[in-house]
Amino acid sequence: MRILVVEDERKVAELVARGFRAERYAVDVAPDGQAGWAMVNTYPYDLIILDLSLPGIGGLELLRRIRRTDGRVPVLILTAKDATDSKVENFEAGADDYLTKPFAFAELQVRVKSLLRRGPVSQGGTLRVADLEIDRLTQQVRRGGRRVELTPKEYGLLEYLATQPGRVLSRTMIVEHVWDESFEGLTNIVDVYVRHLREKVDAPHPVKLIHTVRGVGYCLSEDSSP
Amino acid sequence: MTVRSIRFRLTAWYAGILTAVIVALGALLFLHLKGYLEDTLLETQSRRARQISDTLVANVASTGEAYVAREVAALYDPERSDRFIRITGRDGRLVYVSGAPFSQAFDPAAVPAAQQPSPAEFTRKQPIAGGAALLIAAVRAGAGGTVYLVEVGTSAAPVETLFRHLLLLLGVGLPVVALLAASGGYLLIHRTLRPVDQIAGKAEQITQHNLSERLPVPATGDELESLSIALNRMITRLDDAFMNSKRFVADASHELRTPLTILRGELEGMVREEGVPAQQRERLGGLLEEVERLSMVVERLFALSRMDAGEAQSEWVRFDLAELATTTAGQMTLLAEDRRIAVTCDAPAPVMVDGDRSRLKQVVVNLLDNAIKYTPEGGAVRLRIFAAQGSAVLEVTDTGVGIPPEDLPRIFNRFFRVSQTRSQHPEGAGLGLAIVESICHANRGEIEVESAPNKGSCFRVRLPLAA
Repeated sequence: MRILVVEDERKVAELVARGFRAERYAVDVAPDGQAGWAMVNTYPYDLIILDLSLPGIGGLELLRRIRRTDGRVPVLILTAKDATDSKVENFEAGADDYLTKPFAFAELQVRVKSLLRRGPVSQGGTLRVADLEIDRLTQQVRRGGRRVELTPKEYGLLEYLATQPGRVLSRTMIVEHVWDESFEGLTNIVDVYVRHLREKVDAPHPVKLIHTVRGVGYCLSEDSSP
Repeated sequence: MTVRSIRFRLTAWYAGILTAVIVALGALLFLHLKGYLEDTLLETQSRRARQISDTLVANVASTGEAYVAREVAALYDPERSDRFIRITGRDGRLVYVSGAPFSQAFDPAAVPAAQQPSPAEFTRKQPIAGGAALLIAAVRAGAGGTVYLVEVGTSAAPVETLFRHLLLLLGVGLPVVALLAASGGYLLIHRTLRPVDQIAGKAEQITQHNLSERLPVPATGDELESLSIALNRMITRLDDAFMNSKRFVADASHELRTPLTILRGELEGMVREEGVPAQQRERLGGLLEEVERLSMVVERLFALSRMDAGEAQSEWVRFDLAELATTTAGQMTLLAEDRRIAVTCDAPAPVMVDGDRSRLKQVVVNLLDNAIKYTPEGGAVRLRIFAAQGSAVLEVTDTGVGIPPEDLPRIFNRFFRVSQTRSQHPEGAGLGLAIVESICHANRGEIEVESAPNKGSCFRVRLPLAA
C-alpha cells in the first residue's frame, strides 16, 4: 500500500509519515501542491492525504486536478479550517473523508483503514475479542457464554471498541461515534460510561478486556499492555 | 411626556417667559398710559381755563360778571360737551357754574370748592360718588381788585372705560397668546427633536451583534445631523475594534491547530513506543490530557468566532424541541446517576421550533452538563419544555451551588468562571455558556438565568415557535 502525504507543515508530514511507515505502508511526502501534482502523475497511489492550505497550487485545486485524471484514488482532507461551507465544497470537489486539525493519529489511522478497505464495515456478524462475543444483529453480548445486559449506549460503546480491537480510541472519537458532536468537550461522559461498562463486562472476570491508555483513550484487547 | 423632557422644559420656559414679558409690558402700559392720558386731559382743561381767564375774566371790570357768565355758556357750551366750568369770585361767591352735562356723569352743583389758599394754577382729581372722577384744572386771575378762580373740568370716564377695555383685553388675550405660544413652541420643538427619538430608538437596538447597522442621519444640516454622523463614526470604530478582536481569536485559534497536532501526534507516538517505563508513560499521558484540553479550548474559541462571523447557520430545520431535549437527557442519564442526581424531564407536548438542530442540542447538553456538574450528590435537575406567549421555552433548573449575584451579569462572558467553581472544576475553560448564548442568538433566541447561592440556578432559553 502506497500513501502520498501532501502537507506543507514539515513536522505534521513527518508525524503522519512515521506513523504509517510503522504500520508498514510506503509513504511519500510532498511539501507543496506543485510537488504533490508531480508525484500523483508519477506513481500510482492507493490513498492521498491532502492538506488544504498549501503554498502554490492550493489543496482544493490539487484535489480537482486529481479527480479530473483519476476518479478512484481515495483522498482524505486534512485542514485547520472547518467551516461547514468549506466542508461541503470539499466533498463536492471529490474528497472521500475529512479530518480537522488537531486530530489524534489513531483517528487518522482508523479513517485511512476504512478508506482503503473501500466501503463501509459490514453491520452484521459477530465480533469476538477473547471470550467476549457481540452479536451485531440481535445486539446481544455474552462473555464466557453468559449474557451481559447492557443499556443501548453501553452497547454502542462496547461495539465501537470491539470493531477496532487492540486500537486505542480517543475520547473524542468515541464521543463522535457513540453520541454525536454535540457532546464533544464533555469527555467525562465517556469515562462514566466506560466505568459502568467495566463493571458489567470485566468485573466478574479475572482477565480484563477494557484498558485505559492515559491521555489517549480506551482500548479493547486481550493483551493487557496495548 | 415627562416633566424632565427637553420638550416639556423648553415649552414651559418659552411660555413662562412670554407670559412674564406680556404682563410686564401690560403693567407698564397701564401705569404710564393712564398718567399720560390724564395729564393730557388736564392740560387741555388748563388751557381752556387760561383762555377763559385771559379773554373774559381779565376784562370783567369793563364788561361785568353777568356778561362773562353769558359768554362762557355761549362760547363753550359745557353741558353739551360734558364739561364742568365754574367761576368763583371772592369768598366763594359763584359767578358762573355750568349745568348738568348730557351724560349725567357728574353734578356740577355738587362739586366741592377748591381748598384755599392755592397757587395761581393748579389741577386736582375730584372723586365723584358713584362715577368716574372729575379732572379739574383751576386758574386764579385777578381783575378789578377781585381774585377770580376759573375751574374747568371733564369726566375721567372715557379714560376709565379705555382702561377697563385694555384690562379685559389683556386678561383674555394673555392666556390665549400664552397658550398659542406654548403649543406652537411645543410643535416646533417636537419637530426639531423627532430625529433625536429616531436616533435614540435605533441606538437602543444596536448591540455587539449588529454593529454593522447605522443610525439614521436626518438630512437637516443642523446639529442633529452632525451628532448622528459623529455617533455613526463612533459605531464604525467600535465595529472595527470588535472585528479586530474577533479576527484575532479566529486567527489565533487557527494558528494554534497545527502546533497542537504536532504536539499531540508526537506525544501519542511516544506513549505507543515499546519499552517506555510506566512512570514516564503516566507523565506523557498527563501531558496528552493537557493537550486535549488545550485543543478543546481552541475548538470552542474557533466555534465561537465562526458564530460571530455568522458562518454557523448550517442546517435550518423544523423539529420538536421537547423530543430533542428528552432524548438528549436520556443520553446523559448515566452522568447524573453516577452522582446520584435525579433528572426529571417535563415535556408533556411537542414544541415545534425552526433552527439548527445539532447546535440547539449542544445547548441542551451544555446546560444539563453544567446543572449536573454543579449540583451536589443527591440533588435534583429538572428539565422543562413548554410553549408560552409565542415562545418555545426550555428550562433547566438545578438544586446546585448557584451563582453569586455579583457574577450573574458576567456568566455568559468568554472565559468567565465563578471563582469558587474554578478550583473545584479545573477542567472547564469558561466557554460553555458563551457558546450556549451564541447559539441561542444565532437561532433568534434569548437566554436568561436566575440563581440563588446554595439554592440552585435556573437557565431559561426562549426560541420563536415555528409558525
